[in-house]
Amino acid sequence: MSESESEFKVWESIPVGDDLGSLNYVLTEQMVSDYRRVVDNPHAAYPTIAARHPANLFYRKYASVMRVPNMGHEAEYFNPPVAGKRITISGRIADKYIRRGSAYLVVEATAVDDDGRLIERSKLVGLAREVGKQAAHDNISKKWGT
Amino acid sequence: MMAQQLAVGDRLEPVTREVTNDKMIEFEKCVWDRGRNSHSDINAAKADGISRTIASGQNQMAFLHELLEVNLRDGWVYGGKISVRYIHPVYSGDRLTANGRVTEVLEQDGKPRVVLQVWCENQEGRKTSAGTVEAGQPSPRRSWLDTPGSHAQ
Repeated sequence: MSESESEFKVWESIPVGDDLGSLNYVLTEQMVSDYRRVVDNPHAAYPTIAARHPANLFYRKYASVMRVPNMGHEAEYFNPPVAGKRITISGRIADKYIRRGSAYLVVEATAVDDDGRLIERSKLVGLAREVGKQAAHDNISKKWGT
Repeated sequence: MMAQQLAVGDRLEPVTREVTNDKMIEFEKCVWDRGRNSHSDINAAKADGISRTIASGQNQMAFLHELLEVNLRDGWVYGGKISVRYIHPVYSGDRLTANGRVTEVLEQDGKPRVVLQVWCENQEGRKTSAGTVEAGQPSPRRSWLDTPGSHAQ
């Protein structure tokens, strides 16, 4: 096995379509007001941006073996969440690929409130890094000069 | 009342925000506390192989949302789509400006839509994120502020 193949061993073991299950939480008035204050936007419609639904679902299952620093994001927004409502998020591995020698995972999450309103569907494009290996962040450091 | 409709080449009114260390830390805690990480803690950043904390990509996403909420209102908030890549790190002390330019006007299911290039750039004019948006034409309404529990201010 080549060095690059072994570097992607965990990434290879995560199948596209893998079910990440679901989580739920109540979006409180305090959460909404905290978000709006932190981002300096008193009318922000989607405080769920800070909840990082795809990442939270992914790490619940894979935190011990894989990190996915956020290289990009794709999302569609349907209805802003309402304070006081319970939000249920469910997720899956939507895609994975290797580009320029780096492995990526695309993690999708869908958020629905307890009235059945579809809130958003978002995808995290993560640079896959096996826990205990620095490869991915070395790439980030080289790319960004940090 | 009709909001002014956008045409190809139009620029959105930009939104500029300061990124501070305190706000980077708070952003990691609000709505869903993610604990210490490379966005909020220097030791966690070093453990991840980077020399200083960087603002999370979602922090830039928040600025892009404000750009689109201010300029498109309901046209963005109900049915908007975005795809962005984070291409340069954002640090405490940076001053980010979110921008948008219309590249296409189209009709989808009988409704007018616009396609935009969007990006954030720092105080040196360097792009930190870039992508595309598809949304409705600007609306005069901000309906999400009328919803009970939305906490209009």
